Amino acid sequence: MTDLTERTVPVVTTGDPPPPRFRVPAPVRSIARHAALSLLALVMLYPVIWMVVSSLRPDAEIFRSPGIVLDSLRVANYGTGWNALTSPFGHYLVNSAIVVLGCIIGNLVSCSMAAYAFARLEFTGRRLFFALMLGTIMLPIHVIIVPQYIMFSQLGWVNTFLPLIVPKLLATDAFFVFLMVQFIRGLPRDLDEAARIDGAGHPRIFLRVILPLMLPALATTTIFTFIWTWNDFFSQLIYLTDPEMYTVPVALRSFVDSTVATSWGAMFAMSVVSLLPIFLAFLVGQRYLIKGIATTGIK
Amino acid sequence: MSALGEFRRLGTTRSGPRRKRDNKAAYLFLLPWFGGLLLITAGPVVASFVLGFTDYNLIQPPEFNGLANVRRMVADERLHQALGVTFGYVLGSVPLQLAAALALAMLLDRGLRGLAFYRSAFYLPSLLGSSVAIAVLWRQIFGAEGLFNRALDLVGVSGRGWISDPDTALSTLIVLNVWTFGAPMVIFLAGLRQIPAMYYEAASVDGANRWTQFRRITLPLLSPIIFFNVVLQIIHAFQSFTQAFVVSGGTGGPSDSTLFYTLYLYQRGFHNFDMGYASALAWLLLLIIAGFTALNFWAAKRWVFYDD
Amino acid sequence: MHTPLTRRSVLALAIGAGAGAALAACGGGGGDAGGDISGDPVTLRFTWWGSDARHKRTQQVIDLFTKANPTITVKGEFKEWNGYWDSLATTVAANDAPDIIQMDELYLSSYAERGALLDLGTAAKHLSTADFDAGALDTGKVDGKQYAIPTGLAAYAIVVNTDLLSRYRVALPDDATWTWDDLKRVGAQVSKAGGGTVTGVQSWGFDSGGVNIWARQAGASLYDDEGNVAVPPAVLASFWQYLLDLTKQGIAPPPSVTVERAGGALDQSGTATNTSAFGTWWNTQLTSLAEASGQNLKLLRQPGEARAATPGAYYKPSMFWSVSARSAHPAEAALFVNFLANAPEAGEVLLTDRGVPANTRVRAAITPKLTATDKAAAEYLGALKTGPAPRVTPKGASGIEAILKRHTEGVLFERQTPQQAAAAFIKELQAEIDAA
Repeated sequence: MTDLTERTVPVVTTGDPPPPRFRVPAPVRSIARHAALSLLALVMLYPVIWMVVSSLRPDAEIFRSPGIVLDSLRVANYGTGWNALTSPFGHYLVNSAIVVLGCIIGNLVSCSMAAYAFARLEFTGRRLFFALMLGTIMLPIHVIIVPQYIMFSQLGWVNTFLPLIVPKLLATDAFFVFLMVQFIRGLPRDLDEAARIDGAGHPRIFLRVILPLMLPALATTTIFTFIWTWNDFFSQLIYLTDPEMYTVPVALRSFVDSTVATSWGAMFAMSVVSLLPIFLAFLVGQRYLIKGIATTGIK
Repeated sequence: MSALGEFRRLGTTRSGPRRKRDNKAAYLFLLPWFGGLLLITAGPVVASFVLGFTDYNLIQPPEFNGLANVRRMVADERLHQALGVTFGYVLGSVPLQLAAALALAMLLDRGLRGLAFYRSAFYLPSLLGSSVAIAVLWRQIFGAEGLFNRALDLVGVSGRGWISDPDTALSTLIVLNVWTFGAPMVIFLAGLRQIPAMYYEAASVDGANRWTQFRRITLPLLSPIIFFNVVLQIIHAFQSFTQAFVVSGGTGGPSDSTLFYTLYLYQRGFHNFDMGYASALAWLLLLIIAGFTALNFWAAKRWVFYDD
Repeated sequence: MHTPLTRRSVLALAIGAGAGAALAACGGGGGDAGGDISGDPVTLRFTWWGSDARHKRTQQVIDLFTKANPTITVKGEFKEWNGYWDSLATTVAANDAPDIIQMDELYLSSYAERGALLDLGTAAKHLSTADFDAGALDTGKVDGKQYAIPTGLAAYAIVVNTDLLSRYRVALPDDATWTWDDLKRVGAQVSKAGGGTVTGVQSWGFDSGGVNIWARQAGASLYDDEGNVAVPPAVLASFWQYLLDLTKQGIAPPPSVTVERAGGALDQSGTATNTSAFGTWWNTQLTSLAEASGQNLKLLRQPGEARAATPGAYYKPSMFWSVSARSAHPAEAALFVNFLANAPEAGEVLLTDRGVPANTRVRAAITPKLTATDKAAAEYLGALKTGPAPRVTPKGASGIEAILKRHTEGVLFERQTPQQAAAAFIKELQAEIDAA
């Protein structure tokens, strides 16, 4: 693929018109495509469906009756699960929501700023800092967490949401910095050149030109931060020791103890409940994913 | 032009007219990031490096033991097993997951009714993340009485407990990873949205077929995003922990067949009070990942296309 | 070249690393365990693992205690098993451990010998152990010091599903005389009648109970008094050979099914799903199993006890109460442990949740209030003929069950012979002990 290195976008034609070939009528193809996609969706969703079904079964039936055919409907698990721990489950949902909100704001602001610098600005040490940024995501959390815990505990931050949120405000989530760098570099330079000729400085270019154009990247960041923070177990487990501060994943695990009977029905019910916010977030967020350049009509 | 290429250019004096150095603005934009690096990241990272040369049981003060941890790595058979498992997992799961994500993203990008529904349906498994429910759910598919075996029964093949058989356990985790292709799919979708539709229109007018359009337009214009996904998914796969942890109950079993590198490191650090060795293991992993990432950046020069 | 870090060099390291000065966690205990109870308000942190039912019960006990001792506030911190140990290790490393710690036999030495736990003997003024058997108390001693008080006792048992036996017309064996061969024989009868869906025996070899009993019946023990691995390879090999025979003769399910069930939760086991007639369990798990299974389950003594050189059966402390050595309020913490261990009103709430109470007076008091299955578990424990408890798991050997499980899997999948597994197991376990 030699054309990849060319500066212009290659729209290459073969010269010859495409050979005539038999085409399946459009409606048939469409139905076939829907059928295939639906089947795939069903297979992929089977475990999720099983979980929802199990949340409606009595505990004792969950592992004794396989399959997803429901012969009795038992919503009692939802009530039991909601009140199974020392606080109502809503308490943990609120805690998670606070952490998620803080992390989203932190990531959106700090990562986009850092990404703009890496993608568009020339500065001393850029090479080194970029490598450092990538390097920070290469160490597994399990060896970082003990020194970090000691540090935060010296600051008196244990059992607050600060150890979970403040790092995000400081762009420590290199995944999103790198993601945004790649997106910004995909944007045509002519746009910021034009703005610069009009006398715009970097803050203005960043806010008025780049940010609106990287909406898909920002939406991606928001959705992922939401989902990953919502699901993150280990750091929340370590930093939040007081049950009053527990978040959803920590609370959910408190249902399960492998040595005694677990209230599986209640656990699945609360898993379904905790899945709803991120699913809704995805449903809403995905609309912004598709509002990229292609639909704003630039270029 | 790859990021590495750009680094190289920075090293020389060859700067284009529009490549003026802008240190002040850049450092201002990077201020939060510098703050995070110095205040949050640097300390623990340096501490883990120092601890790599100690014997540290978490309860008593660390004791320097020089290169003893490095010598241990050479002789540690479980470490070698973990390396084998992890490389197998990276090689197996990253290409499969990215291919599935790209294929579905292309399919779900435009021109089909009910797109939002399919997108959500395909993303839903990824939402489960590291939920405890995963361990149970996965058994409903690949357990001895799971969906997969019941499908096999229909065609007269008798199955086994795929998750708990050392020959197949790792493969089920690879499938599990492919199953949660939602994240790269969404990133691909966002990337596809950045490709102006007029390119495709022009190509259609010129009579280019789908495959040609894919090769000549989609691939080059999506290449920064593909590159991002490749780099990050490889890093991610090397660090893969949660799924193996949840599915194997933290043991990496059966018979160490799903003993991922980070799982082993975690076991040493937390279960065996061996945090000094775990820290040394972490830095070995960092070197391996950094090597692969550097290789990726080097290769990127040949296939990643930037519009700048 | 082991150079102990001095306080100053640790400080330098920590400052250099920016990681806070507590890496070495060299702070001493704050209070005096033998002192008086403070009149000022005191807040204690109390941590345990378990599932939702235990969290509720424990919170009730906390409320009872704080009602009786209004100046003391107790904050409960509950976790599930894995997260519990990660969190505990981290907080201990940061000198930030909870005051009262629920402890397990596997980890007791690892924490006690490294100075993380308080010698409760120094708190005798507030914490009475008069109602405990000496044998039970000994399980909480390390190097002669009482670092932990057992909450309850458990004993290894065979759980049999009598409904399955009567459905297949298999006679219930007499557990006073039965042998390991008898278990094989009745298991084979069930497997034959079960036609593939039900097997006779659910294989074991994933927890330390089974191997301990096997070794003890052969007159050996897992560890010697010094805490080194002492079990002869031949004894271990015969243990694994027996498990391998069960699998190969179809008495137990195929290896992948066995391993899957062993890795799952209690509710997914063969006993809980009524797909295995016999299974090895701790007696205290009977109630959970019976609820999950919905059929009649009964506790049987281990096979081979009648002919064994020494009794294989023993009382295992189901868990312990312990106090952090760095607690700022050790006297108050001891008072709370005293309440947990001795107060009848606490026992009435906790019942057998943490094992059949090791406190004999509490045990007698709550027995009438137990459910049928809990009563059966308590009676089983009372009637059992036991030998002296095995030595507490030595420091460094906390990973024994993981090592055991790995080798059982290796044997069942025939990746190694029982003899190879025995040699490798001993070597690995000893290496962990030596390294600690």
